[in-house]
Amino acid sequence: MSATRAAESGTRSDIPPVEVVGVSVRFGAITALSEVSFTVVPGTIHAIIGPNGAGKSTMFNVLSGVYKAAEGEVRFGDARLDRMRPYQIAGIGVARAFQNIALSGTQSVAENLMLGRHHLTKAGFVAAGLRLPRATREGRRHGERVAEIADFLDLGDKLHTPVGVLSYGDQKRVEVARALCTEPRLLLLDEPVAGMNAEETDRMAAAILEIRSALGISVVLVEHDMGMVMSLADRVTVLDFGRRIADGTPAQVQTDPEVIRAYLGSGDEDSPSEAAAHHHPSDTPGATS
Amino acid sequence: MSESTVIADSGAQRSGVSAPAPAGRGRSILRPLLLVALLVVLLALPLYVEEFWLRTGFAVFGAAVGAIGLNLLVGNAGQLSLAHAFFLAVGAVSYVYVSGEPGGLGVAELDGLGLPPIVGMVVGVLLAGLAGLIFSPLAARLRGIYLGVASLALVFIGIHVLNAWTPVTGGFNGRAAPNFELFGFTFGNRDPELYVLGVPFREAERLWYLGLVLALLAYWYARNLLRSRPGRALQTLRDSEVAASVMGVNVQRYKARIFLVSSMYAGLAGVMYALSIGSIAPESFGLELSILYLAMIVLGGLGSVNGAVLGALFVSALPLVFQRYADLIPFVGDRGEGGLAAGEAARFLFGLAIVLVILFEPAGLAGIANRITGRVRRRPGGRVTEHPPDSSSQSNAPVPSDKPAQGSTT
Repeated sequence: MSATRAAESGTRSDIPPVEVVGVSVRFGAITALSEVSFTVVPGTIHAIIGPNGAGKSTMFNVLSGVYKAAEGEVRFGDARLDRMRPYQIAGIGVARAFQNIALSGTQSVAENLMLGRHHLTKAGFVAAGLRLPRATREGRRHGERVAEIADFLDLGDKLHTPVGVLSYGDQKRVEVARALCTEPRLLLLDEPVAGMNAEETDRMAAAILEIRSALGISVVLVEHDMGMVMSLADRVTVLDFGRRIADGTPAQVQTDPEVIRAYLGSGDEDSPSEAAAHHHPSDTPGATS
Repeated sequence: MSESTVIADSGAQRSGVSAPAPAGRGRSILRPLLLVALLVVLLALPLYVEEFWLRTGFAVFGAAVGAIGLNLLVGNAGQLSLAHAFFLAVGAVSYVYVSGEPGGLGVAELDGLGLPPIVGMVVGVLLAGLAGLIFSPLAARLRGIYLGVASLALVFIGIHVLNAWTPVTGGFNGRAAPNFELFGFTFGNRDPELYVLGVPFREAERLWYLGLVLALLAYWYARNLLRSRPGRALQTLRDSEVAASVMGVNVQRYKARIFLVSSMYAGLAGVMYALSIGSIAPESFGLELSILYLAMIVLGGLGSVNGAVLGALFVSALPLVFQRYADLIPFVGDRGEGGLAAGEAARFLFGLAIVLVILFEPAGLAGIANRITGRVRRRPGGRVTEHPPDSSSQSNAPVPSDKPAQGSTT
């Protein structure tokens, strides 16, 4: 059912697939990701799930260039994300919202969002410092777009508020809004609803669907809220201990015996206590769907 | 979410939206009025006050330029530098060498290019900037206290060069700084003789205006910078380098740029320092000067341009004022008499002030000033205008949650 949704929403021709091929990441002797492969179909919402420590955030750090893969390739159209620096990746339209909020607390919402326009604007140390007309014009024009995006995420009335005094839910929305301000072709959302209440979660879920259908961009989502993953995602990749253990539609993944074992523990290899220590109960697939 | 069409519209057609240009934020009438009044006072001051205050004023202007530059680097971009004294020295030495006449006193044979002082000033600023740029690849790789320690080395190198390179620096004894001059107008006591409203405009008066103009330019540039694209990038990289780079900021390049800008500020401050003292000497550019500049920006308020100016005023004027009124202030005596020397007394006061600021007002003097003017200002919806970096909201280091240690391959 969900595979057809992508087709309905009319994908943009300028959005290439993301192809992750055999990516491994090691920290010294520890392997955080081991030969992980998956493909994000353009214009779809692709969820990466897995128990704590499965390598989800590591995968995100590889996608955004913060970590270098020891092996494998990450392609976004013609671009090789695994060979690019983070700011270059941002420059080709890959945006990321952080799980632990990485905003500048002293700056206003508008200023934080304007940072998203960084790669779309030019004003440098001379033009901006001397307040040349082109820098002022550029700032004004992009300010209007930023105000629109803020409105879209219900932040319109908080534009001039310092981010540090906003509620947690608002800050999470600023994170997403800042990523959107880069006009991305691929949006990476790292647990966008973690810590939000039910109402905020519903609003965020609606916003993500809206982003996908209105902009036609690809969204990659790391999320613990299984209800949200199962209802939003077109496709799900499941990681466990740095390996891909399943990949498919939400319905397929939910019934996959490997996935159920990873989340609940089979009792064959792992002792029950160890499984409980590793796997948070709320991670259970299907618990809320 | 009824605005799905809006978000798809990347043409940004909607007009009449209050663009979030920071200039538009809740302005009261009070602030501009205060600023204009302040400017008028500053312009008229040489007509009324005596030479001591004007000379102190010029020293404060010079310190303000240096402090604004250091604050851009430390307060806004988060790069701790103890090398500010070195960059000041580069500016000062370049000025006295480029604009000084060759010649010599006694044993010291001095070289000098004898070029117009404005050339000396520009070269001083550019060479200081160049020195900063050369150091910046190192700066881009180090962080926090490590950068501070590395930058410390520059100060010691600087002192050594100042002492050893006698033909240029005048060596141990230092060297006189030529008077500033612009298109034949000397910032000295004559050439031409000048009277304004019956008040003789001599060196102190003339330098006062020079300092005012330079400080205003420095202030204006810094304010513009911080309110625009590069400023936002710098402040984000201070708060999280990973976030800045993922949002498209070339972190290394920005660190290099801000080092360049900051050392150019220091270079100008160095030139002004030389003009203010009338000479340069190695011991003026020691570690203590770097520390004093750090004291200025911490006292004034890290990251605030206004704060840097207030800090510069406090730190550079206080010892001079103490010295002048030593006999009026209890516990402070003249040199050789009982009591504390004026410089020492001032230093005690800085120490106390810094402790108080850190305990009670981390936003510094700028925070206090904001509070005072903020009381009169109308603030819609309990808006907070000034917000110290708060650890709870900024424990943001986007360190991935699965660190290697957790990778549990067992």
